[in-house]
Amino acid sequence: PLISMLHRILRKGTYIIWGCGAPRGKHGFSRQYSHIYATRLIQMRPFLENRAQQHWGRGVGVKKLCELQSREKCCLAGTLFKSMQLQPSILKYIHPDDELVLEDELQRIKLKGTIDVSKLVTGTVLAVFGSVRDDGKFLMEDHCFADLAPQKPAPLLDTDRFLLLVSGPGLGGGGGERLLGTQLLVDVLGDEGEHYSAAHVSRVILAGNPLSHSTQSRDSINKAKYLTKKTQADSVEVTKMLDEILLQLSASMPVDVMPGKFDPTNYTLPQQPLHPCMFPLATAYSMLQLVIKPYQATIDGVRFLGTSGQNQYGGSLGDPGPTIPDTLGCYPFCKTDPFFFPACPHTACLMNLPSLACQSISFSGFRAEYHDLEGLGLSL
Amino acid sequence: MGRKRLITDSYPVVKRREGPAGHSKGELAPELGEEPQPRDEEEAELELLRQFDLAWQYGPCTGITRLQRWCRAKQMGLEPPPEVWEVLKTHPGDPRFQCSLWHLYPL
Repeated sequence: PLISMLHRILRKGTYIIWGCGAPRGKHGFSRQYSHIYATRLIQMRPFLENRAQQHWGRGVGVKKLCELQSREKCCLAGTLFKSMQLQPSILKYIHPDDELVLEDELQRIKLKGTIDVSKLVTGTVLAVFGSVRDDGKFLMEDHCFADLAPQKPAPLLDTDRFLLLVSGPGLGGGGGERLLGTQLLVDVLGDEGEHYSAAHVSRVILAGNPLSHSTQSRDSINKAKYLTKKTQADSVEVTKMLDEILLQLSASMPVDVMPGKFDPTNYTLPQQPLHPCMFPLATAYSMLQLVIKPYQATIDGVRFLGTSGQNQYGGSLGDPGPTIPDTLGCYPFCKTDPFFFPACPHTACLMNLPSLACQSISFSGFRAEYHDLEGLGLSL
Repeated sequence: MGRKRLITDSYPVVKRREGPAGHSKGELAPELGEEPQPRDEEEAELELLRQFDLAWQYGPCTGITRLQRWCRAKQMGLEPPPEVWEVLKTHPGDPRFQCSLWHLYPL
């Protein structure tokens, strides 16, 4: 169903987009993925050690695996590997015999102890406290994740500003109802009698899946070429509809379009923007922007981060993609882990999920402030 | 009939070591000592680069050039040795210097 959410933000101003297109070097996909894991650990290690010291005291030493002494209590930091018998789907095939292994830069060690194995995923970076036992396994007494990066305070504003998030319109599927809903949205925004009028909306973000899953008709893909020559794909008609809707929207306010799981763009993350040739009418307006996913922007001074529901936040908001590249496809980056955000966003949204929920998160000294969410009819 | 016995048959058999550029025909005598020094220096530089490749602190070395790895380490604040950059700067385009230890292997 069409889900829209109004979130309060700040004064009018310019915005900056952070982008990370996949580099098209000569390596293509032949490079190993080890670089992503190594850079992830290097980038997150200072945050992890900081958190470990907050958790277990200043005196606790974060050791390397090669420095372990038997039965000595210490702290280890590294990347988690979950040995799962029933892969490939990590959500459907959880088994009681799944084992956890912690890897640092040089070695790996099996973990045991009171921890909910089913809640952890391969690729999470964490710190564990405990000691190595005679059987060679590390007995965990406690564990913690890296804290969120420091957040720069958002600038104060004089008027209310809004960000409109539209997730999964799914045009082209389920008859005309979807189109009706989307058209209604456009009409509401254009209506000058509305209390929260369009003038207060800073940006509209179309958060993925503008085209429905059913537009990817499998029949035409599997049929022989000579049978499908004269037929047109379903998505063409739907894209024209979407183009007209975007035209109406971007005529009056900035619109960002993020790609979704079912859209004609690459499968691997970060997903590249939809091509402008799909929207010949709407791209005439400079207020329309076709952006990547995950998407980060500073809108009126507020840092916004949008990702899809495919990501699993393995306990730490600082790393929204721990399962990349294990279960979510990705280009083998070598310079950094591009899904690690060193600057904490003010608002993070996971889109295209089955239901809506909001949560304020507080971390090390920043208390969450509840901005009248009850007044807007949203529950925590 | 059998081969005619040579004087050199009584000498011990020693395997000839292959030179770096495949000079198996034998080397000319060093001219006034200039030849071997650049080669030794080059060897020392290559050895420095190999040690840089094997240093675990800077992450994996396969699939990227040494310069890329050095720049990545610098950007992350790992303080890679500046001598390595100097060496890389003085030999641009030479794959023995620019590419990692295992660049010929399909890793």
